[in-house]
Amino acid sequence: MRDFVLAVLRGADYAVFAYFVALNSSYLIMIVLASVEFAKHLRRATFAGADDMFRSPLTLPVSVIVPAYNEGAGIVPAVQAMTALRYPRYEIVVVDDGSTDDTFEKLREHFDLVEVPRVVPSEVPYESQVVSVHVPRGDKGSLTVVRKTNGGKADALNVGINLARHPLVCMVDADSVLDPDALLSVAKPFADDPLRVAACGGVVRIANGCKVVAGRVVDVRMPRSWLVRIQVVEYLRAFLMSRTGWSRLGGVVVISGAFGVFRRDLLVQIGGMAHDTIGEDAELVVRLHHYLRDRGEDYRVIFVAEPVSWSEAPSHWKVLGSQRRRWHRGIAEILTKHRHMIFNPRYGRIGLVALPYYLIFELLAPFVELAALILLPLGLWADAIDIGFAWRFALVAYGYGLLVSLVALFIEEVSFHRYPRWSDMLRGVVAAVLENFGYRQLLALWQVWGAAAAWRGRPAVWGTMHRTGFDTHDPTPVETVGTPTSGDVEAAVGAPKSLG
Amino acid sequence: MFELFSVTMVALLVVVAGTAAGIVVVRIWRRVRNNRLAALAAGPRRALLAFVADNGEEGSEDLIAIPDDAWRASLPAALGLLGKLRGDAHAALVSVFLHRGAARAALADLHARSGVRRARAAQLLGDLELREAVPDLCGLLTDRDHEVRVVAVRALGRIGDAKAAWRLIASLDQHDPVPSLLATHALVQMGRDAEVVLSAALDHPQARVRAVCLDALGLIGATGAVGRMARVLAEDDILDVRVAAAANLGRLGARGALKPLVDALDPPAPDLLRAASARALGDLGAPAAVPALAAHLDDGEFQIAHEAAQSLRRLGGPGLVELRSRDNDHCREALALAEPELVGAA
Repeated sequence: MRDFVLAVLRGADYAVFAYFVALNSSYLIMIVLASVEFAKHLRRATFAGADDMFRSPLTLPVSVIVPAYNEGAGIVPAVQAMTALRYPRYEIVVVDDGSTDDTFEKLREHFDLVEVPRVVPSEVPYESQVVSVHVPRGDKGSLTVVRKTNGGKADALNVGINLARHPLVCMVDADSVLDPDALLSVAKPFADDPLRVAACGGVVRIANGCKVVAGRVVDVRMPRSWLVRIQVVEYLRAFLMSRTGWSRLGGVVVISGAFGVFRRDLLVQIGGMAHDTIGEDAELVVRLHHYLRDRGEDYRVIFVAEPVSWSEAPSHWKVLGSQRRRWHRGIAEILTKHRHMIFNPRYGRIGLVALPYYLIFELLAPFVELAALILLPLGLWADAIDIGFAWRFALVAYGYGLLVSLVALFIEEVSFHRYPRWSDMLRGVVAAVLENFGYRQLLALWQVWGAAAAWRGRPAVWGTMHRTGFDTHDPTPVETVGTPTSGDVEAAVGAPKSLG
Repeated sequence: MFELFSVTMVALLVVVAGTAAGIVVVRIWRRVRNNRLAALAAGPRRALLAFVADNGEEGSEDLIAIPDDAWRASLPAALGLLGKLRGDAHAALVSVFLHRGAARAALADLHARSGVRRARAAQLLGDLELREAVPDLCGLLTDRDHEVRVVAVRALGRIGDAKAAWRLIASLDQHDPVPSLLATHALVQMGRDAEVVLSAALDHPQARVRAVCLDALGLIGATGAVGRMARVLAEDDILDVRVAAAANLGRLGARGALKPLVDALDPPAPDLLRAASARALGDLGAPAAVPALAAHLDDGEFQIAHEAAQSLRRLGGPGLVELRSRDNDHCREALALAEPELVGAA
């Protein structure tokens, strides 16, 4: 019996090791694919035609939807910055989702808003009540502010979609700072291939530590906190590299709610954002695939690496924990909801490659990480493995993870060079090492917690996001507690992972 | 097993160290290269800016005399200017490029094996607005590389020679055609000279071609094509094409467009077309459209009633009178947009 148990333990340890190798190899493959895409993108920059798109009277106009809940601290500069984006024709629709702070008052005061009667169509369902619609006095439709009762981010976005007048809809978080050409770049695939492109996501980078002037990131720096620096490396690996790699494979299933453009007609056809999941942005993309594949449409969902949306990352462990629990809960909910698509050839690459990958290497990863943390000491204690095996196992598994992070930093350096200071790059390398000591393990614990909460059907809790802002460092606590509300929402699937 | 782990660890260590060293090397190489290019480009950039500031009247000899390596370093700035300038300054800068042999090299590069080189060459020829390049650029409309075809269309639009219109239209009727909006913009840039070809193409069997031509005719203001466009509005088999016809008849603002648009407001026309016609009547700017639009303010279809109200707002005086006479949400919304100072200022 003892021999059997020891054999099982040994086998489990080897299985966990094999899983780590497979997981990190998959990351490495994505990074290689991403680097090919970056090279292609950079070589084509001179004839990409962004200026022509800016000048063309036929460029598709965009409705930028900004859901806001208790964003009084930064809503005015955020909207100001959005009004200065370089794009020929667009409108901004701010949806105040029943804020309890002075979000609306600040907007009204700054933009001289006046209430207008506006018929809100119900092309996509929403559950709350629209209280009033406001536009700046004398404005010709560039800004609309909607006040509604609190109903969550998905509900706010659905109201925004209903009010959007343009064929393309861009969803942006109220605390995001967009690069000036971001909208132009993320909408360009729709101009290049309007019949097939259904949605396009842009990359999200971390703004903590960066200098922001007049709503523009003018000086990119590594954050001061090691906790956020580690997240910078994670974002490079998971958002920039992984999603670009998936885009090349035709398997994008996540477009971050912080920055993504969709065809409005398709959003209407699929019923807008779902109310029953905390990862509504990723769920939307999976549902879009579902819908278009079912109809046999020739379509593309793509991710572009160049336009950047800058977002504030959690700088406190508690907030980070809440965020990661929420993200992983989102993965669990989406994969459960769309489980019939997984391994289903009817859904092509999405069903046979992308969703199985998210199931095996995203959803299950923290479970395996925690299992490794238990099985390895257990194997040592029971003499199933010896100490030599254990430390070699740990070094190879974590070393491979470190290598993946360094390769991501290398590709970032070659392609975009966003961190020009030597000290910042050095901090990035150190953060890639530090990530392995405590951070990954804690993340795995939170993620397991989040997935378990989804499967047990526990109500979603969003925690509190402490906004430090981009220019000042005065903590401004922003309450985002209770049922799902707008605020710090990030893509669930494909979120930065703790493994590798 | 231990040996395997040990070998793997050593290999990992080497690769990790190599990657870290790679980051350092790339960083140093970038810095050295940027410094060198900045030093080389500094003089030419100043000369370029002075040249443009003088509207190209002086300094062309200085630019032509710049050594090749310095010119290459300043090429991104020069190309950027070339794409942005118009008028005399553009013509003067083009002459500098021509003197430096850029056109000859670009024409040769149109046949390069690399798609990137072909596309770059097409982009440059378009920026140079070189009419002699039109036949070769038309050849690229059937290039195997989609990106090259896209750049060729943009270049032909920039050159604006209507002789390319038919080839461009024909290129829309092929597998994986260039984007419609891009083709439309290029055709619009060719101007009224392309009107006859565009008008004739309204009988093209491919719906996509007809829709592009309708948009182009609307944007170039081809009032002579109203009759043919009205026929498409009434008779075409494809709804999207009829919608395009309605939108562009409105855009033309010609008297002859009124009746066909009013006719399309009512069933049996599909709702999408009815809404497009309501919107187009607002764009048309004819007060005579007021009664027809007013009759649809209570239409059961949201979009039709909404567009009718918005069109009445855009028609001004008589339209606003009609809106004020109704107790209807769409009318209130339209009036509020017309007179925001009158509502809800408190």
